[in-house]
Amino acid sequence: MSGTDIPNYLDYPWRRRGLDHDRFPHRNLPQAAPVVWPGKARVALWIAVHVGHYPMDMPKLPFMVPGGMERPYPSYWDYTQRDYGNRIGIYRLMRALDARGLRATALTNAVVAARYPALASEIAASKWEVAAAGMDMGKLHHGGLPEAEERALVQEAVGILREAFGPAVRGWHSPDHSQSMRTLDLVAEAGLDYVADWVNDDMPYPVGTAAGPLTAMPLAWDLSDQHLLLQQHMATEDFTDQAFRAFQTLYAEAAATGGGRILTLTLTPWVMGQPHRIRALGTLLDRLLAHAGVWPATGAEIVDAWRAGTGR
Amino acid sequence: MLAEPGHYDYAPYTGRPRIVWPGGARIAVWLAPNIEHYELEPPDNPRKTPWPRPVPDVLNYSHRDYGNRVGFWRMADVMARHGVRGSVSLNVAVCDHYPEIIERCCELGWELFSHGTYNTRYFYGQSEDYQRAIIADSRATILKYSGQSLDGWLTPAITNDETTQHVLAEEGIKYTLDMVHDDQPTPLKVRNGKLISIPYSLEVNDVPLFQLRNTPPDRYTAIIKAQFDQLYAEGADNGTVMCMPLHPFLTGQPQRIAALDEALAYITAHDGVWLATGREIAAWFTEHYYDAFVSWLAAGTPGGRR
Repeated sequence: MSGTDIPNYLDYPWRRRGLDHDRFPHRNLPQAAPVVWPGKARVALWIAVHVGHYPMDMPKLPFMVPGGMERPYPSYWDYTQRDYGNRIGIYRLMRALDARGLRATALTNAVVAARYPALASEIAASKWEVAAAGMDMGKLHHGGLPEAEERALVQEAVGILREAFGPAVRGWHSPDHSQSMRTLDLVAEAGLDYVADWVNDDMPYPVGTAAGPLTAMPLAWDLSDQHLLLQQHMATEDFTDQAFRAFQTLYAEAAATGGGRILTLTLTPWVMGQPHRIRALGTLLDRLLAHAGVWPATGAEIVDAWRAGTGR
Repeated sequence: MLAEPGHYDYAPYTGRPRIVWPGGARIAVWLAPNIEHYELEPPDNPRKTPWPRPVPDVLNYSHRDYGNRVGFWRMADVMARHGVRGSVSLNVAVCDHYPEIIERCCELGWELFSHGTYNTRYFYGQSEDYQRAIIADSRATILKYSGQSLDGWLTPAITNDETTQHVLAEEGIKYTLDMVHDDQPTPLKVRNGKLISIPYSLEVNDVPLFQLRNTPPDRYTAIIKAQFDQLYAEGADNGTVMCMPLHPFLTGQPQRIAALDEALAYITAHDGVWLATGREIAAWFTEHYYDAFVSWLAAGTPGGRR
């Protein structure tokens, strides 16, 4: 068939049953077997905190991450506002969680552990889980990265974080969900066993790689503080209200299906850890915890319970 | 380049032939879920870059994939609970990729119309042959998977060419959604055949609202109610159309689904509302009012201020 000047525009190499890639099969969530959480909890509450470092000289390519250096170099404006999160915001988040007996998963850029050992000690002392989140927010994973370079990025980040936090570092989150076609293989090759980058589900699912299986975890992005408060400029209460609405939906679905669901609160210390926002977070957490059948858990705990419940 | 689409003449919102919808209804409300697939590795296009990030754009790809895995099912359940059918703006390759989604649509009595093959294959600058090939594919695929005829059209990603509406009419499409110039159906001027526009919306469309205008769910419901209230009031004089375009990857999110639920509860609690499909609106208008509108336009839009 002629009629288009664009090469391959009428070719559909992946037009077939299922997805247009081979990493995992398509799944319709209502048709997935129910998974029962410990204590028959309805909703697992996963608090995932971005512990990131944004270098002042970070590149703007291949794309600008939210929270990147938006103003011309040297942007003290951008750099110091992000840096606030590692100095103040995260401690405020820790106190808010400690006060409620909650632990988070820290999605940690490796350079944070290297630069701020005092913060690393606090995270370890808080019994938070640490998941590897690449090197820093300027080191993105993308298709233009040579394989050897990307492998080195993953290995170095995992090495630094395991040295600081031990073998309990099991999860991976790429800086701002950036991946190449190889990232999943390299993450599995580095010995990690779950990944939280794809935002296509409310529940875990298995992912295949060249180095063995990974479990995909549903890190919230559309419902994250970065997306709603930073990118969409909403008011704090519009974020916490939406988190509660999501909880109500998931809580009702868990009751209806007999299978647990996950509410992921994806938080950023320099965003939600601001003084004017922290009490709204506390109010939200109290509202959630007032419900029976809420299971606060780390990412790794949820992965383990999900695998135990499905045999995957 | 054209200075205007050229498919319709100016028509004031006064003095028009009076539309009454079936059962004496004053407003036709229709929901258009866009059920789409955006390719992970689409071909390059000189006019539009499919993804904001370099391929693979895992973040944006997986966000859209949420609609097919989770959001669609949640949205379909809410609509079914309110007895509201969808008219699916369908990337027809979805039939091949996820046939169980199509089965669910058919089970609920939804209409399927074409939104091209994939939402990452654009019409900008494409030849008429290319456009005809996509329409033929759409017709065959929708027939194969649902037994339905192809009656409606929304160009993928609304990337129509200036020739597209002519091609649609020549290929037997009955209604198009590429234009948002009116709150009532419009007979269109095309080279051959007969084509009407029925109202779609970029104003109460969840993509502009949730992605571009940063609308929280409670504001979404308020906007839908306000849109409905006004068109409902005006419909007492002359029947109106309200379209709610939906995208499962946005409205189907757990934080937003109650906003749709609340909006539908509000709309369906009113009398005089025709809960229709695109095909039904097009058929009713074409049968009862097409000729009257054409005559009124030909007569120079007589009638007057009110």
